[in-house]
Amino acid sequence: MTGIEVPASPDPDERQDPGERLAAVVAMRRLADRMEDAAVEEAMRAGWSWSEVAEALGVTRQAVHKKHAKRLIAAGVRLRRRT
Amino acid sequence: MPQIFGMYMHAVMERAAAEAQAMGSKDIEAEHLLLAVAREPEATTRELLDSAGLDYQTIKDALQSEFEQSLGAAGISVTDRDMLRPRRSIRRPSDAGASAKLVLERGMAAVGDKKDLRPAHILLGLLELKAGTVPRALALAGVDRDELKARTRAALPRAGR
Repeated sequence: MTGIEVPASPDPDERQDPGERLAAVVAMRRLADRMEDAAVEEAMRAGWSWSEVAEALGVTRQAVHKKHAKRLIAAGVRLRRRT
Repeated sequence: MPQIFGMYMHAVMERAAAEAQAMGSKDIEAEHLLLAVAREPEATTRELLDSAGLDYQTIKDALQSEFEQSLGAAGISVTDRDMLRPRRSIRRPSDAGASAKLVLERGMAAVGDKKDLRPAHILLGLLELKAGTVPRALALAGVDRDELKARTRAALPRAGR
């Protein structure tokens, strides 16, 4: 669904320098943020509540609301009012 | 001159904030400053970037390549191209993130007196970064950072090198 493939374990013969590994961390965080934005939008469009999305992400309802509400409203997503 | 630098700095920060917003970033980071510097029509900086074959689009492409290559280094291949596209954030960032602060700090460290600050000091600060997104993207764009740094220094007044 996400179109992302991660190998089970990195090849030990292809040891990278620390700079490359750190850059990978930065890139993965950015990718995770974009995935979160897309997945939350998809869930809310499908009628999930803030509480359900929060539970699925393992964060508080307030946190998920604060992070995504404005963007979703601007994107024209109809949000469920409570829970 | 301090006034000219102040105006330049203001314009760069405005553009950098717009770049950060377009890329969905919470803060203004070094890469947004680099894009902003490339967009700003300031003669000395423009000439220096031109000499290294850098323009706005080249930098933008290099940043995207850096992102994809870094994911690749972690063994992640993204087939959904849409996921690699930046998403514009709703709010325009106003704060400089750690990497942008480092650029300003290193660029300004070259001068003893603030009146000696020139627009090229921001470029110098960007070239002083040793690790992270900007140096990696510049390397991908085929830029010899040390050489460009030397040329940037040479383009600055003696007091600001």
